[in-house]
Amino acid sequence: MGRLRVKGKAGAAKNYTTRSSAVKKLQCSLADFRRLCILKGIFPREPRSRKKANKGSSAPTSFYYTKDIAYLAHEPILKKLREHKAIAKKLSRALGRGEWGSAKNLEESKPTYRLDHIIKERYSTFIDALRDIDDALCMVFLFSSLPSNSRLPPELVENCARLAAEWQLYVMHSRALRKVFLSIKGIYYQAEIMDQTVTWLVPYMFTQNVPTDVDIRVMLTFLELYQTLLSFVFFKLFTDAGLVYPPALDTKKDEDGAGVNALVLQDSSRQMVLPTSVPSVEGRQITGKIVRQVIKTIDVSSENSTPDVEMSNAEPTTVEPEEEFVPQRSAFDKTAHAALPTLQSISTLPQTLSISLFSPYVFFLSRETPRPIFEFIVRSFGGRIGWPPSSGSCSPIDEYDPSITHVVVDRPVVTKQETPEQRELRLRRKYVQPQWIVDCVNAGKILLEESYAQGKPLPPHLSPFGEYEGAYIPCEEPSNKERIQEDQEDSAEESEAEEAGEAVNEILAESHDPASLRAAELAAEAAGVDYGAFEATIKKASKKQGKVKKVDLVEDAEGDMNKMMMSNKQRKLYEKMKYSNKKKETERQGLESRKRELQKQKRKAL
Amino acid sequence: MAVPDALRKPTKRKQVDEEDASPEDLQATGSLEMLSDEEDAGDTSSDDGQIDEFPEIFDGSDSDESDFDEDEEDESQEDDEEGAESDDSLHIFPKAKIVVSEITSQPKTVYPEIEPDYDSDSSTEEDPNRVGNIPMHWYDDLPHIGYDMNGKQVLRPARGDELDKFLATVDDSSAWTSAFDKNTQTEKPLTSEELDLIRRLYTNENPDANYDPYEPMTEWFTGKGKEEIMPLSGALQPKRRWVPSKWEKQKVMKIVRAIRQSRILPSKPKATSKFEPYAIWSEPSSSHPPPLPAPKRPLPTNAESYNPPEEYLPTEEERKAWEALDPEDRERDYLPQKYSSLRLVPAYDSFVKERFHRQLDLYLAPRVQRVKLNIDPNSLIPKLPSPNSLKPFPNYKSLQFHHSKSRARCISISPDGAWVISGDESGVVSLWEITVGREVKKWKFEGKIGALAWCPRMDVSYFAVGIEGAVHFIIPPNVDPLVLSLTQSILAPTTLPPPPATPSNVKWITPPSNTWSLDTPILTINLPPSSGLPTHFCWHRRGDYLASVSTGGTQGGVWIHQLTRRHSQAPFKKIKGAVQSVLFHPLKPHFFVATQQYVRIYNLSEQKLVKTLVPGIKWISSMDVHSSGDHLIVGGYDRKLCWFDLELSEKPYKVLRYHSRAIRSLQFHPTYPLFASSSDDGSIQIFHSRVYNDLMTDPLIVPLKILRGHHVTDGLGVLQVKWCPKHPWLVSSAADGSVAVWCS
Repeated sequence: MGRLRVKGKAGAAKNYTTRSSAVKKLQCSLADFRRLCILKGIFPREPRSRKKANKGSSAPTSFYYTKDIAYLAHEPILKKLREHKAIAKKLSRALGRGEWGSAKNLEESKPTYRLDHIIKERYSTFIDALRDIDDALCMVFLFSSLPSNSRLPPELVENCARLAAEWQLYVMHSRALRKVFLSIKGIYYQAEIMDQTVTWLVPYMFTQNVPTDVDIRVMLTFLELYQTLLSFVFFKLFTDAGLVYPPALDTKKDEDGAGVNALVLQDSSRQMVLPTSVPSVEGRQITGKIVRQVIKTIDVSSENSTPDVEMSNAEPTTVEPEEEFVPQRSAFDKTAHAALPTLQSISTLPQTLSISLFSPYVFFLSRETPRPIFEFIVRSFGGRIGWPPSSGSCSPIDEYDPSITHVVVDRPVVTKQETPEQRELRLRRKYVQPQWIVDCVNAGKILLEESYAQGKPLPPHLSPFGEYEGAYIPCEEPSNKERIQEDQEDSAEESEAEEAGEAVNEILAESHDPASLRAAELAAEAAGVDYGAFEATIKKASKKQGKVKKVDLVEDAEGDMNKMMMSNKQRKLYEKMKYSNKKKETERQGLESRKRELQKQKRKAL
Repeated sequence: MAVPDALRKPTKRKQVDEEDASPEDLQATGSLEMLSDEEDAGDTSSDDGQIDEFPEIFDGSDSDESDFDEDEEDESQEDDEEGAESDDSLHIFPKAKIVVSEITSQPKTVYPEIEPDYDSDSSTEEDPNRVGNIPMHWYDDLPHIGYDMNGKQVLRPARGDELDKFLATVDDSSAWTSAFDKNTQTEKPLTSEELDLIRRLYTNENPDANYDPYEPMTEWFTGKGKEEIMPLSGALQPKRRWVPSKWEKQKVMKIVRAIRQSRILPSKPKATSKFEPYAIWSEPSSSHPPPLPAPKRPLPTNAESYNPPEEYLPTEEERKAWEALDPEDRERDYLPQKYSSLRLVPAYDSFVKERFHRQLDLYLAPRVQRVKLNIDPNSLIPKLPSPNSLKPFPNYKSLQFHHSKSRARCISISPDGAWVISGDESGVVSLWEITVGREVKKWKFEGKIGALAWCPRMDVSYFAVGIEGAVHFIIPPNVDPLVLSLTQSILAPTTLPPPPATPSNVKWITPPSNTWSLDTPILTINLPPSSGLPTHFCWHRRGDYLASVSTGGTQGGVWIHQLTRRHSQAPFKKIKGAVQSVLFHPLKPHFFVATQQYVRIYNLSEQKLVKTLVPGIKWISSMDVHSSGDHLIVGGYDRKLCWFDLELSEKPYKVLRYHSRAIRSLQFHPTYPLFASSSDDGSIQIFHSRVYNDLMTDPLIVPLKILRGHHVTDGLGVLQVKWCPKHPWLVSSAADGSVAVWCS
């Protein structure tokens, strides 16, 4: 006989704690518990058997690991929360008694907690933190655009805006931006920092309003954590890049609406960082990693050589040295470029090129385009950009600057009288719609400006992040054979023998022996289909059916029968997989067929 | 408390304290006695300033309160002065005048003379009725109502009837302000004072018109000019009153020292609200493993673009379907939209909500780590040998035999594999050749044919037919004479075996030999009445015993008939559950009994239960045992087929569920490694079932073929399948009356 076991002392009953018992154990309110869970990143777990975990009850509750709760019980923040509760009680009593002096003292001595240790616990290495800043960035960008009210103090919004600007500044400085996607929800950016992809979503530049069914307290708690996390991450990023963190804010510029330009980047050590560790090229031994490092050092050095120019380009006097510097930088790039094909696999080639995609170009934004978005994108890819004063101050380039190569316009064409000077200017520049910039970035090369010209219907904007495997790819042109088939189909339609063709198809579908083929031929002749069209349909049908039939007859029958011998678990898995595959397939086919229809309609309209 | 005394004498300390503590009490008492002591207002001025002498009674901490009290007192004093002025104007009593006496040359108060006229006193008023305050109903029966001053009767005044009263009230405008005076027995108008009193009582006011609830406090002992300047007692002040306390000093100095040494911070330094980041990752992290990162949101696809290809845009139906769905059920949380240019793109209205839901997911949703299977689903299908390599097995329908009217319930095949008998529900049993399908002979019985079974012996040839309450034994036509004679000698021996010791209620009847014909049974076993239709027959391999299962009857309806002894016995006295099927073990003296949910194996020689198998089927329909005797298949009406390895456990080795309707019948092929099952879905499933001799290898079951061709009528499909013993051929009977032969 084994040892007697007491129920509820081991296993799931001990390892899991319900939320209410956790709250009871921690002796805090539910709101405090929520706050702790958010800050510490503790989330409910799903026990394998809810009944075993909850002493035989199957009531709907959420379970936490008991160890997690024990770990929360030692949290310094919990202590601070309790202290805060005590102070709040004292404060309310003092206020009730009208003891203003002591109330003021209490108010001043309210405990505050710090989240440093939590950041350190949750993200033991910097890479961990960097991997997890997606949500933090989204939130900070969202809150930087929210209107402040009683629940949202203006300092918070200000801090969020500052963090957002710092991040953009860093991405621009390190040329880390890789992909941009203009979606209906907002703009997705993807940057690659220390081999980690960071994706964040920025809402379009409208005032967001917080709906009533959103609990702002939860969001604020998250934001509290995210702000701390981001400031630590930025500190590390900036100091690693040799910059001072936090960057100084030029309040005057900020008031003028300079946006990102209001922050002034400073070198932490005023001396130039020379590319000291440029490895000597030794034939085959150089790996892609070394090359990337070299490029990075080159980039950094080129950035470092013009830090003041880059960041304080508000003064018009500094424009000229920068202009002088542009070819120099491209020379750097060229050397890197020349070395690349011999050293590196071709797959990485477009990326390295695209880092300085816009460096030879100078852009000017017209006033209807959102400046912060395109300033960020263009400058992240090495381009120079100017804007009219209505979009904010600190534009480095004047509208009539002769160096401007592209003007980003987002309005319909209006014919108007223009002076010869304006005409000359117009002819010298290229007028493109904003999507051109984003598509160039995603393609990794400069696209032809023709299809993106002002007022033209734009080509579709596709997601640079790709879709799942086997999904419908919209820009894939139908292959030659299919096109011929389609043409033939169309011609068949034009000869108005569609029904006959269908009849033939049906007959073919029924059986596939020569006798029925002959019958079909006769039917087609009777219907007045010419022989060529008939053969084409037969070929198509046979192509379809040959495959289908073989599979059907031999494999499907056996497979279906072998399915009987599957275990229940396997069968369920199999059916699930089949279902999802079929769903994907139908989705793809639906899109394809709709595209074909649309093309047909277009052709008919022509 | 006699207030004038207290005022004139120097008051005691204790009293002063009391008065300080309760100014309201003082005021109350003052107001009560104010009327009588009006004259003393001037006299109290001589006692000014006595109280101020002893400030040490107030603690430092109470200074605020004392100030407050003083203020209050000042105010009340001012109020008092004002009140005194207004008092004079309000006074209804005769005003007193202060005049300087001519004799003493001191001011004195002179009251006006009271004149005893109508105004002065109500008692002087003339009242004719002088009876006094007595109950007036004493005079109710008398013509007078009392007596006047001179002792003469006062006669009752004339009073009209009710109408007069009413008219009087209508005429007289003051009637509603008058009341009935009992003393004079007349209506008397109320005076204005009385009316005012009534009004006050009615409105819950103080009935006294002159009462002032907000009377200023009369200051008797406090206030300006009344401060006591002399100590209350002549005793010397103790030293502690004027020497600073040593202990207090020590305590204070302790605190001061602590503050100087900054052990006590008078006001804590404010927590620095400014948060400064630092290099948090420069020091090594703890060995504690970091929690798993939260899953990221899926990246946007082409459909989310502001300018997607046109095929992504939803059609009108799709849009409606999307809007009709609950937000939780939607596959996508947005509808693809197309904008011709970037400036037309509006704000996304549920941006905040989406972020919020993401955060709810982060802290409220349980996370489960799942391994994503990236395999071809077809690889999950077990790899089995191809059916082509497992030939022969029945492949096609070679011929069909029809029972014209009703369901072909049962079939049996002769042991040499050349003949088939099939019976239907109308009582017809047909004998036909398996290769040709031609009917050779037909027998007609009363009622349904429940079961048919051909004797497995090769040297004799006969079969058993089960109908309601009886089992008939019939010899087929065209039998070899040798075989015929042997069969006849077995079924109808010339010398009957001795009857059993215990008389049985089962009757074995053989008609006399001169009446034998091919159409009539040579032997009939009459089962006991109410035993019902025999539904299942099972021959022992030697051909001597026949087990039958009937629908009704006691003992589960199971009988074992022994032909040589012409004796039937019921093996079970009582059996739990309805018996569905029975089987003889092919090698051992074991007997399988399938009840509704269990299969029991009995040892017939030892007369005991060997094993109970639990197939887990709700209702067993049929079973068969493999010719090796080690494997058993059980089919059920709940579509399951269980394969038991009898060497192993009492749970099935494999459970298959492939028929879409109830399994009706199944059988192992006696020689080939095949078994077949038939179902109400009208199909027959053929399996290859190889059983290995070594115990380590599991039996191999390969589905080979699904035979279709029978029609489902009334929800019933193929009712029975039987294998041809010599060939891999199958015979099946169906509810549509057809019997088919399936050949390889």
